[in-house]
Amino acid sequence: MNTDKVLDAKGLSCPMPVVRSKKAMDEIKTGQVLELHTTDSGALNDIPAWARSANHQVLDHQEENGVYKFWIQKG
Amino acid sequence: MSKKVAIIASNGGLFDAYKVFNIATAAAAADSKVAIFFTFEGLNLIHKQAYQQLPIPSGKEHFQEGFKQANIPSIVELVEVAQDMNVRLIACQMTMDVMNLQKEEFVENVEIGGAATFLHFAQDADVTLTF
Repeated sequence: MNTDKVLDAKGLSCPMPVVRSKKAMDEIKTGQVLELHTTDSGALNDIPAWARSANHQVLDHQEENGVYKFWIQKG
Repeated sequence: MSKKVAIIASNGGLFDAYKVFNIATAAAAADSKVAIFFTFEGLNLIHKQAYQQLPIPSGKEHFQEGFKQANIPSIVELVEVAQDMNVRLIACQMTMDVMNLQKEEFVENVEIGGAATFLHFAQDADVTLTF
């Protein structure tokens, strides 16, 4: 998948993954895609909820060795 | 139009601080306008000295280790994050008068206000929370 920015938020706990994601979104344009890496298991629900609140779209997510990856398109 | 989240912080312990600032920063991250009204013991949460060492409820001291292990940001860091995301911090004037506290004793950019200041913000808030 095309990614315009990668954010490594591994090791950070709530609420920092969404806080850092917001910052990263501020740095890209509408329609561009942020790839987020987090180890916070709460993120599985939190990132989609945050994205809906902030009008972004989660395009895909995967889990790999305890790392959750999300591809989020800026709305 | 962005949502508004109005929070009252009226308790001064470490757990109270996390409840307040986690919700506030998460809301700000979702592009909500956030204001927190700090009243009574809640003023500890933005007091330059007090907020560096907020009390843990007695009998729960062992959670201190859990905070470290889970890599939880400190309250000092969370206040910085909140301010960076334009969360309004409003200190209750009346409590300051009662406790003889001065504006200089609080973190930078705290607003001083009364009940009416907070209510003006809260009256059309989408979410209102009290901690």
